[in-house]
Amino acid sequence: MTQERTNYIDIVIKGIWRENPVAYQVLGICSSLAVTVRMSTAIVMGIALTVVTAFSSMLISSLRKMIPSNIRIIAELAIVASLVIATDQILKAFLYDISKQLSIFVGLIITNCIVMGRAEAFALANKPLDSFFDGIGNGLGYTLVLVIVALIREFLGSGKFLGFNIIPQFALDAGYQNMGLMVLAPGAFFVIGLLVWLKNSLPGISKEER
Amino acid sequence: MSDNNDKNKKKNVILFALLLSVICSLIITASAVGLKGLQNANMALDKKIKILMAADLIKDKKPSKKDINALYDAHIQEVTVDSKGNVIQTYVPDSLNLYFYQDNGVIKGYVLPINTRGLWGKIQGYLAFENDGQTVSGFSVFSHSETPGLGGEIESAWFRKNFKGKKILNSRNKFVSVGIAKGKAENLPKDLQNHYVDGISGATLTGKYLSEGIKETLMKYDSVSISFRQKDLKPQ
Repeated sequence: MTQERTNYIDIVIKGIWRENPVAYQVLGICSSLAVTVRMSTAIVMGIALTVVTAFSSMLISSLRKMIPSNIRIIAELAIVASLVIATDQILKAFLYDISKQLSIFVGLIITNCIVMGRAEAFALANKPLDSFFDGIGNGLGYTLVLVIVALIREFLGSGKFLGFNIIPQFALDAGYQNMGLMVLAPGAFFVIGLLVWLKNSLPGISKEER
Repeated sequence: MSDNNDKNKKKNVILFALLLSVICSLIITASAVGLKGLQNANMALDKKIKILMAADLIKDKKPSKKDINALYDAHIQEVTVDSKGNVIQTYVPDSLNLYFYQDNGVIKGYVLPINTRGLWGKIQGYLAFENDGQTVSGFSVFSHSETPGLGGEIESAWFRKNFKGKKILNSRNKFVSVGIAKGKAENLPKDLQNHYVDGISGATLTGKYLSEGIKETLMKYDSVSISFRQKDLKPQ
């Protein structure tokens, strides 16, 4: 039991840090560019993706012995897309306000390579519960990167933190200007690139992977 | 022997694909059709909220469902006008739908539905005017599929608020529409500031399409605005 529990924790931590989907596997970059202008959207997207990856990995893992290998990608895609669309429909009917916030993310989630990437790399070869935690770990790892990138971009690009102005008026009067580049997609490229470099150059962490 | 095995495998693949597609389509169809009623009710209510928002009857805090219906029934009236801007009861070709905002029988303004393309999909919203037929009193977005954090900002409060008080006529009473500026509106020449709202950085195209859509809608509803300017639209 304890053995299993530490195993799950290990899987989660691996997803968050050692094999972080954005910084190490370089998955999900496209959506990291789009939703990191503001912290609030980054957090919502991170949570939504974590839930989707966890459940789709679990579902695909429980079907892994039945899925024929030559059509597995299409099968995975069909399962993930159906899962997300059905959830979206249910949210629209019962939690309309939340669904309005999330609906715009649906397209970004279905096409997010992390969902497919984890299904391919982990769920097809591991047990359902392991896959579930792998999804949680990778989702959280993705969220972590999104939040850090969004924090930097929102601060430098619009001078805000979670929507609140934090640049004092005297600084603006003295000629402080927001960095317009950070609001645009290239700004995210720079920040993500620097983060990947930082993570991979931290001592003791990435040696075993090299 | 191996030939037989191969055939079996192929059969299994096809069988699995078939089964999977049937199950997936059943799940999606069931959730879409079975929940349609609830979803439509939610959408209808949301539409009312957005019309009330455009007319500036709802502030930032969201009232309860009952209040929304009461507010809507008391103040908003859906009307159809013909191409000359006269209110009509029967259907004629080229008729237009809009909403009157009234208070105790006095028409205080009107709300036009905006329906335009955005960068990724359709943008649907409402633009409200005061009864002088030229001053914008509010703007709201009902549905869009722009990127969250970028084009998606069109539904945020700061963006919507900028529309209030903008004019669609210039100082010589010529129609110029309202548009979304590139960057801040205050950086524009003085005579244009009245017709532009602050743009969203990183979402130039969304702004461009929305500006075009607003202009198109205003031109379509020009007769309504003109008759408001002439004050000859009486409440029913």
